[in-house]
Amino acid sequence: MKVFVNDREIELKNGSRNLLEALREAGIEIPNLCYLSETSIYGACRMCLVEIDGKEIVTSCTTKPREGMRIKTNTPQIHELRRGILELLLATHNRDCTTCERNGSCKLQKYAEDFGIRNVRFAQIKKNTKTDRSAPIIRDNSKCILCGDCVRVCEEVQGIGVIDFAYRGFSTQVTPVFETELSKTECVYCGQCVAHCPTAALTFRSDLDRLYQALSSGKTVIGMIAPAVRVAVQEDLSMDSDATMAERLVAFLKMSGFSKVFDVAFAADLVAYEEAHELYERVVNNEKLPLLTSCCPAWVKYVEQFYPKYVENLSTVKSPQQALGTIVKKIYAKKIGINPEDIVLVSFMPCTAKKFEAERQEHLGMVDLVLTTKELSQMIKASGINIKQLTPEPFDKPFGISSQGGLNFGKTGGVFATVVEVIRDEMGIENEEYHDLQPGVKSAVLTLKDGRVLKGLVVFGLANARDIMKKVMEKVLDTNIIEVMACNYGCIGGGGQPYPNDSKVRQTRARILKETASIKAINSPVENYYLQKLYQEEFKDQHTRHMIHTEYKPRKRIESEDIEILPLPKEDKTTVKVCLGTSCYMKGSYRVLSQLVESVKKDSLGDEIEVVGTFCLENCDKSPNVMVNDKLISEATLEKVEEVLKECQITKTESQS
Amino acid sequence: MERTFQKVEEILKKHEYKKENLIRILLDVQKQYRYLPEDVINYIGVALQLPPAKIYGVGTFYAQFSLKPKGKYTILLCDGTACHMEGSISLLKAIEEELNIKPGEVTKDLVFSVDQVGCLGACALAPAMVINEEVYGNLTPEKVKEIIKKLKEGEKDAQ
Repeated sequence: MKVFVNDREIELKNGSRNLLEALREAGIEIPNLCYLSETSIYGACRMCLVEIDGKEIVTSCTTKPREGMRIKTNTPQIHELRRGILELLLATHNRDCTTCERNGSCKLQKYAEDFGIRNVRFAQIKKNTKTDRSAPIIRDNSKCILCGDCVRVCEEVQGIGVIDFAYRGFSTQVTPVFETELSKTECVYCGQCVAHCPTAALTFRSDLDRLYQALSSGKTVIGMIAPAVRVAVQEDLSMDSDATMAERLVAFLKMSGFSKVFDVAFAADLVAYEEAHELYERVVNNEKLPLLTSCCPAWVKYVEQFYPKYVENLSTVKSPQQALGTIVKKIYAKKIGINPEDIVLVSFMPCTAKKFEAERQEHLGMVDLVLTTKELSQMIKASGINIKQLTPEPFDKPFGISSQGGLNFGKTGGVFATVVEVIRDEMGIENEEYHDLQPGVKSAVLTLKDGRVLKGLVVFGLANARDIMKKVMEKVLDTNIIEVMACNYGCIGGGGQPYPNDSKVRQTRARILKETASIKAINSPVENYYLQKLYQEEFKDQHTRHMIHTEYKPRKRIESEDIEILPLPKEDKTTVKVCLGTSCYMKGSYRVLSQLVESVKKDSLGDEIEVVGTFCLENCDKSPNVMVNDKLISEATLEKVEEVLKECQITKTESQS
Repeated sequence: MERTFQKVEEILKKHEYKKENLIRILLDVQKQYRYLPEDVINYIGVALQLPPAKIYGVGTFYAQFSLKPKGKYTILLCDGTACHMEGSISLLKAIEEELNIKPGEVTKDLVFSVDQVGCLGACALAPAMVINEEVYGNLTPEKVKEIIKKLKEGEKDAQ
C-alpha cells in the first residue's frame, strides 16, 4: 500500500492492525503511552495523534491505513498537543524521579525529556493514593497515568482481571475490588502488569538489601541462575547479547562474594527427567491426565484458584528453582559439611512469581532469596564492573551442566520438548508431528516405540490456558500433557525482566536463548553425566526421590469475611458454614443453603444453630462443601448436614450429662 | 441485616444471569439493600463469572450506587441555590445535632443516613429535603428536628 508520510512516498505492509503499527514497521515510532500490540486498542492517552490528508488530527492507534493516505506525524500543532498532554499528565504525577524504581526506564520520563518539558504550566495536584506493598507486586497509584495497560493485560492476556478502573473523573483509580491488598486477591504475581506499565505505578519488591545483608553475614552464599536471565540482563547494561553471558555472570557473582554458582538449567534437566517418567506412568495407568506442568508458579496458583478439580493433575515434580533449592540444602550441604542453616541460597530469576513460590509454605527454607534480572543488572551497575571485560568462569559442579533442553526451559515449549527428549531416549519415539493451533498454542502428537500415542499441548498466556482448560473440562480436547507458561513466550517474558518487555523484545530473547542452547554438546537430560550420577547415588528409589516432589491444594481467591446469614449471638452454638465459592456455587450450594435456612427457621434441626456463608473452604474438588463447627462435609446435601447436626446434638447432650 | 441471598438469587434470575444486565442487577440490589454490600458483589461475581474488580468499577463509577450502607430513612438535603439561600445550612446543623452524623454518613443502627444534593427540583418549597421519596418543604430547623423525632418514635413502636 502506497501512502505519503511527511510528504515522502512510502510503501506500507498490507494488513497492519493500525496506522501506528504500520508506521512503526516503516521506521517511525509514533509516541504513545497506552498502546499495546498484545491487547485491545484503548485510545486514551492521545499521544499518538497524526494529521490525515491535511484536515483532521486523529489517533493513529485507532486509524486504519488506506491507499494514498497523506499522513503528517510531526507538525508544530501535533508537537504542541503532545507537549500539552505530557504537561497535563505530569501535573498530577508523582515526580520523585531520582528515587523512583523506574528512573531511566520510564516511558513518561523519556517523553518528558524527548519533548523538552522543563516546566509544567499547571499547578501540581497530589492524588490521594496509598501504596500497596503486601505482595511481590507493588502498586503505587501516585505514579499511575491511567493508560489501562495493566488492566487490559490482566484481563485479556492473562484472563484474570484482578485490577480494574474504579471511581470516576479525577478520582479514577486502578484497583482490585474494594481496594483490597493484592496479597488477598486472585493475583498470581505473573508480573505482566509490571512488564507493560509505562511508569512505576506497578513494580515489584526489591530484595537487594537482603542480599547485601547475607553477603556480610559470614554465611555461605550460593547463587543459581535461571536460563532466561542470561539472555536479557544485557539489555539493562547497554550491551550486545553474548553466548557466554551466563559464565560472565558467574565470574561477577564470585567477585561479589558468592562461594558457588549453579545453573538452574541443571535442575531443569532434573525436572524434565522426573516429569517424563511421571507422564509415562500416568499414561500407562491412565490416571490424572492431562498432566499439567508445574514449573510456572503463576500457572500453579491459577490452577489452585480457578481449576481446583485439576490440582491433582499438576505434576508433583517441583519447579527447577525449588528442585535445585532442595538438592542444595538437603544433599549438597551435607556433602560439603555445612549446616543448611548457614547457607543462603540466592536464585536469579526472570520472574516475579518466583518470589512468591519460594515463600510458599511447602517450599520454605529451600531458596532463601529470589532476585530478578532487573535486580541483578542493578547490582552489576552499582559495582562499576564491566562484565564484558570479565573472563567467563564455568558454573560450579555438580550442578553446573545442562542439556540443550534444560536451557530451553527459559522459553515456551522448553519443558515439553525436554520431556520429549527423555521419552525419545528412554522409551523411543517412532513418529512425531507438531502443529501451530493459534498464537500461544501448539500441539504435538508422538507415536512411541511401544505403540502408545502421546498427545501434548504447549500454551503461553493464562487466557489461552483458560480456553484450553475449558475444552479439557468439556472433554472436547484430548491431550496427555499441557505445558503452560503464564507469560507470553515463556519465562523470557517474565515480570522481572528489563523494560521494555514487549513481544518484539521477547522474540529476540527467544532467539538468543535458542542460540545459546544450540552450542551445548548434549541434547537430553539422559546424557547429563552429573544428573545421572545424582540418580545413581542419591535417588536410588522412590522414597529418596520424594524430596523433589510436592503437592498442591485448592486455594481461595477471595479473602472475604464470613457472611452472617442467620446469626446467633451466643457462645454455645453450632455453626454451619455453607461455601458459596465458584465450584460449590456451580454444584448447587445455594440450594443447600436455602433448604438449610428454611429448616433452621422451622426449628426442625434443633435450636442454637447459626448459619454462615463463606467464599471458599479450599476443598473445591469435592463441592459443594458445608462445615459444621470444624467438621467438613464434602458433596453436601441437606440430609448429610442434618445427620452431622444430629451427631453434634448427641455428643453435646452426652457431655452435658 | 439478614441476608439469605434469596433476594440476590431472585434478582439474578430475573435478569437471566447475564453479564450484560449487570447495571440492572446492581440497581435492583441497591434497591433491596440500599447499597452494594461487599459480599453481594463477590456473590454476583461468582454467579456471573465476572471479576469482582469489574463490578466494583461499575459500582464506583455511577453516583447512583453506594458502596456504604444507607439508612432505612435516607435523608437527601437540598443545597441547590434556592435552598441554600433559604438557609439549608441551618437545616443540616439541625440534622447533625439530632442524629450525630455528617453528610455521607449513616447512624450506627443503620436507621438514618444523610446526603447533601445539588437540587431536588422543589425550589418553590425551599428549603426542602426528601426522605425516602417523600418531599418535605418550607422547612425550619425546628420542623426538621420534629420530623426526625417522629420517625425515631415510629421505629421504637415498630420494635
